[in-house]
Amino acid sequence: MNTDSRSRLGRCALWLLLALLLPVLLTGCAGSMGVQPWERDLLAQPGMAIDPDPIQTALNEHIFFSKEASTGGLGTAGGGCGCN
Amino acid sequence: MAATSKTGQNVRGALLTACGLLGIGGAQAQATEIKGAVLGYTEPDRVSAIETVVDVAHTFAGGQGLNFKLVYDGLTGASANGAVPWTDYQTFTRPSGAGSYQADPEQTPLDDTFRDSRVALSGGASLPWGRLSTVSAGLYGSGEHDYMSLGANLALSRDFNKRNTTVALRGAMFHDTINPEGGRPTPFGIMTPAGSELARLDGDGTKDIMDLGLSLTQTINRSTIAHLSYTFSQVDGYQTDPYKLLSVVNPETGAPGHYVFEKRPDSRAKHVLLAKLNHHLSRDIVRLSYRFMTDDWGVNSHTIDLEYRLKMGEHRYLEPSVRWYTQSEADFYRRFLLESEALPLDASADYRLGDMQTWAWGLKHGRRLGNGHDLTVRGVYYRQSGESHPAEAVGALRDLDLFPTVEAFIFQVGYSFGT
Repeated sequence: MNTDSRSRLGRCALWLLLALLLPVLLTGCAGSMGVQPWERDLLAQPGMAIDPDPIQTALNEHIFFSKEASTGGLGTAGGGCGCN
Repeated sequence: MAATSKTGQNVRGALLTACGLLGIGGAQAQATEIKGAVLGYTEPDRVSAIETVVDVAHTFAGGQGLNFKLVYDGLTGASANGAVPWTDYQTFTRPSGAGSYQADPEQTPLDDTFRDSRVALSGGASLPWGRLSTVSAGLYGSGEHDYMSLGANLALSRDFNKRNTTVALRGAMFHDTINPEGGRPTPFGIMTPAGSELARLDGDGTKDIMDLGLSLTQTINRSTIAHLSYTFSQVDGYQTDPYKLLSVVNPETGAPGHYVFEKRPDSRAKHVLLAKLNHHLSRDIVRLSYRFMTDDWGVNSHTIDLEYRLKMGEHRYLEPSVRWYTQSEADFYRRFLLESEALPLDASADYRLGDMQTWAWGLKHGRRLGNGHDLTVRGVYYRQSGESHPAEAVGALRDLDLFPTVEAFIFQVGYSFGT
């Protein structure tokens, strides 16, 4: 897959996710979405956390930070080490 | 009977969660959670690393939290020095200026003196602010033999809509100092033979990093939660890698005439957009995330992460994952410079700034032990690839692999328990 194809695929993924998420989030902010407190049994499970394993996330970020040109988004990255 | 008991437990669990979220039922219980992990990373014939993490978090009865984290990592092995491969042996001076190393014909030149260890310590505190808000702050410090980083962060989050919506604002600042072996080489300075004097910049290099982020987390329904965040990051100061070189080659034959040290811009502004979606399939859980990053160095990247938690009984799960990443090259990325051209404003042959795509395939197994502690084991296969024979190659460089595929294997063991 060449650079242009990958960029196109990435842009498609971005717009698709935004198209799916933004209406969802905006509706949610308006208060018409969500659950009652007693309906959180599934959401309260550890695997449903936005970051279910922060140590693993930090270790991954350190590896990818030192192997690729992108960082951030998954917490306040930055600083760190001289490996990049 | 068993089903009734399980239903009862679910109802009690849901009610307890609900009471906790609504702040009903008095003060929270104090709790301490201790987590640790050891990670091994190896690239065949290149770098190997081991990283150890210990994280201790305590929550007080009033809801205040304290946490400390200690990280130690050690690296050793060989790292690409930026020069292109050639048909004959190439000799390079070590970064310190004392001694030299050789690259075999047709092989990517690797500096085999890569050895370092890093210790990082961070701590933070969080305080409830009213019934729906939380303020948290933290400090960070890390040190290597040639690099030091100090930082601080502050975050504020607030729940809305029966805690179905959370908005968070966070900021962080870092001040990094780099003092490479032998001092910082003069940008575009010519690599001289071992033992001879090399032009160096005075003093240490420093850079300042500022991160600002805004995030929104929204519960969509009983089994789905979404998260969207935007982060702006500004980096000012010395961002050149003092250990990286560029080959300056003959425009006809491609033969390297000499080598110069790289030079990167001293300012970088990054924008990062992250979207996550977690969905519970009544037994299993699927998590999908997408990250877009763009910066004023010309790097645009896309990252897609997919994890599937397959529940295997009450206390065990298996979690396959796949991560796809692609980036465009930085504006100043050059595989080599030509002897016939004037020096550009900035240039780096560090392949990590080049056009590339990577895949990471992982498998994790988690289980709760009989004593209530959690044990996880994870393995990942990571692969980086780029354009091995770019159009700009000249002479004999057209036949050499200018972007060899890099493979890495990652293994991690994690252990956590609460008191």
